[in-house]
Amino acid sequence: MKLALFVAGALALPAAALAQSCEVKIGAMGPMSGGAAQWGLAMLSATELAAAEVNAQGGLKMGGKSCKVTVVPYDSKYTADGAAAGSNAFAAQDIHVIIGPVGSPEATGIKPVAARNEQIAWNAAYAKNALETKYPLMFHIAPGPAAWADTVIKRAMKVFPMKSVAIIAPNDQGGTDIATVDAAAYKANGVQTTEEYYQRGTTNFAPIVTRVLATNPDVVDTASSPPGDAGVIVKQLRLAGFKGPIGRLGGPGTDEIIRVSGGIDVLQNFYWFETVPTDDPKVKAIDDQYRKLLGKDPVGGTSVWADLPAARLTLKAIAAAGTDEAQKVAAALRALPVDDPNLGKGYWGGKKQFGIAQELQFPFGVGIIKDGKNLGVERQEVTPE
Amino acid sequence: MAQFLQAAIIGLSLGAQYALLALGFTLIFGILGVVNFAHGGFYMLGGYVAYSCVALLGVPYPLAVLIAVAATAALGWVFELFLLERLVDDHLATLMLTLGLYLILSNGLLQTFGPLAMEFRFPVSGAIRLGPVYVPQENLIVLAICLAAIVALWVVLYRTDLGRGLRALADDRAVAMAQGLRPKLLFPMAFALATGLAGLTGALVTPILALSPGVGDPVLATSFLTVILGGLGSLQGAALAAFAVGLVEAFCSVYFGGSIGALILFVLVLLLLVFRPTGLLGRTVRGA
Repeated sequence: MKLALFVAGALALPAAALAQSCEVKIGAMGPMSGGAAQWGLAMLSATELAAAEVNAQGGLKMGGKSCKVTVVPYDSKYTADGAAAGSNAFAAQDIHVIIGPVGSPEATGIKPVAARNEQIAWNAAYAKNALETKYPLMFHIAPGPAAWADTVIKRAMKVFPMKSVAIIAPNDQGGTDIATVDAAAYKANGVQTTEEYYQRGTTNFAPIVTRVLATNPDVVDTASSPPGDAGVIVKQLRLAGFKGPIGRLGGPGTDEIIRVSGGIDVLQNFYWFETVPTDDPKVKAIDDQYRKLLGKDPVGGTSVWADLPAARLTLKAIAAAGTDEAQKVAAALRALPVDDPNLGKGYWGGKKQFGIAQELQFPFGVGIIKDGKNLGVERQEVTPE
Repeated sequence: MAQFLQAAIIGLSLGAQYALLALGFTLIFGILGVVNFAHGGFYMLGGYVAYSCVALLGVPYPLAVLIAVAATAALGWVFELFLLERLVDDHLATLMLTLGLYLILSNGLLQTFGPLAMEFRFPVSGAIRLGPVYVPQENLIVLAICLAAIVALWVVLYRTDLGRGLRALADDRAVAMAQGLRPKLLFPMAFALATGLAGLTGALVTPILALSPGVGDPVLATSFLTVILGGLGSLQGAALAAFAVGLVEAFCSVYFGGSIGALILFVLVLLLLVFRPTGLLGRTVRGA
């Protein structure tokens, strides 16, 4: 009788409940407070969605069992020590797979520690050494400016003719690695370039704005400045009387920049890089899927859409490997084709720049705001290396 | 020349903001002997209270600023009276208490308002232009309010019985108490005055720059730097140092760039402390 009741009860349980017979923890890491919070929260939202999708289908198939995927967040504060501490904190919780971190300082901090802890990590940094052959467990969410800066500049120059640009960026690796690549791309297009760096943590940019405007640039590019910082820079540039276009050849954050600067009327003329073609209805549908499964809005803007394929692919690789042990998951990842339900077909790249093909490459976008009107984000295709 | 004038305007504007923060910070140290690690938290709270009043309750901005001052002063008064007062002479305990309050405030605001920046605008915008030089109207208003607040604080401290009492307690608490002054009444008032100044600065400055959890971190660092430079506990020193820090920061950043500007400021402070450990106007290093 007891056995019959147990069988009846088990049959009545939904698939999601059965999935709770075991648990796989995935780390989500990035800056979740401060000026770059939007990027870290996007990493968390993307990982939450990938986990919710798998859990809704009964859990992650692993070694004959269906396991519930749990997401553990960590605020690495856009610092190298924050990311290193995060890797250790995850190791203490038996977490072998990390979606994140975001910035170059974080990528620099996590690489040796995650290697020692035998963890896979997916950084989204635009650093020149975002991937290194000596860290084979490190994967890259999307290419840096070396891959797309030229396309964005050419598109922007059609709308905003320019002869000179001033690039403003933080003075650490997260700023200089991107700004120097951006500067080279502008120069290659015949645009005279000056670079201006500031101490991360600066709150009042009025002195830097004064210095930049003394060079009389046609365009000011906020490169990889965190969106919160970029918003203040835009606000103070406009207050100082700068009427030219603002560029952003760095991590996306247009919503946050508009909010902090005081609105699209203040921003006026703006061009920016988007990691994915954000006007594509299939890409936008990711937010609906998130609301449906998690019952709330995703946080992090368009970066959620860019981070999601990495999280989905990783869970697929864990299922293929039958374990969350990092070496086996990494091997399974390298063998998986890059194809996302929302973003479409992509490629493994990175061999040319880093010597290791562990970078996800999907079509990206270039956005334009002209005279306070958003003209949308134009899709740009990528070709395999 | 235009760049020089512009740097001077920015420096004075920064100096006034730093002065309000530093005066509150040094007031607490000078009178209570407490290093208030929650000072940046009161700045942040002032900004969020003003934002909530304007954005959620539809209160006019000037009234919202007054409410922010009252709220931060009230919290400071309660915190001093019920927590800090019991351990006011234990320096490690007060350090932990104020640091703990800062963490509670910053995490509380993070949970309540989320991690992203608020859309909080100063009600007046635009700039007065004199050729190539510009003065943002909002900065001019903030500068005027800051200077008025500094004068008001000076009047309270040097022209009222309350101020005389507070200064007497700062000079020699035992003698002041023998004269009938009551620290349990005056200390919370001094703390409230200081936190109210931090709240005022937060309510005035965050709509000009940005309002998000974490904006208190650099405020604490700047306040500390300024009061050490001016001489811990010296009100005149703090005011002088605040304008010096603002001007050095502005001129160095304009002429040498953002990275070297920050470096020069810290090198200058370091050199001053080597040759004059008491700061610009500090008389003696305060005893523990």
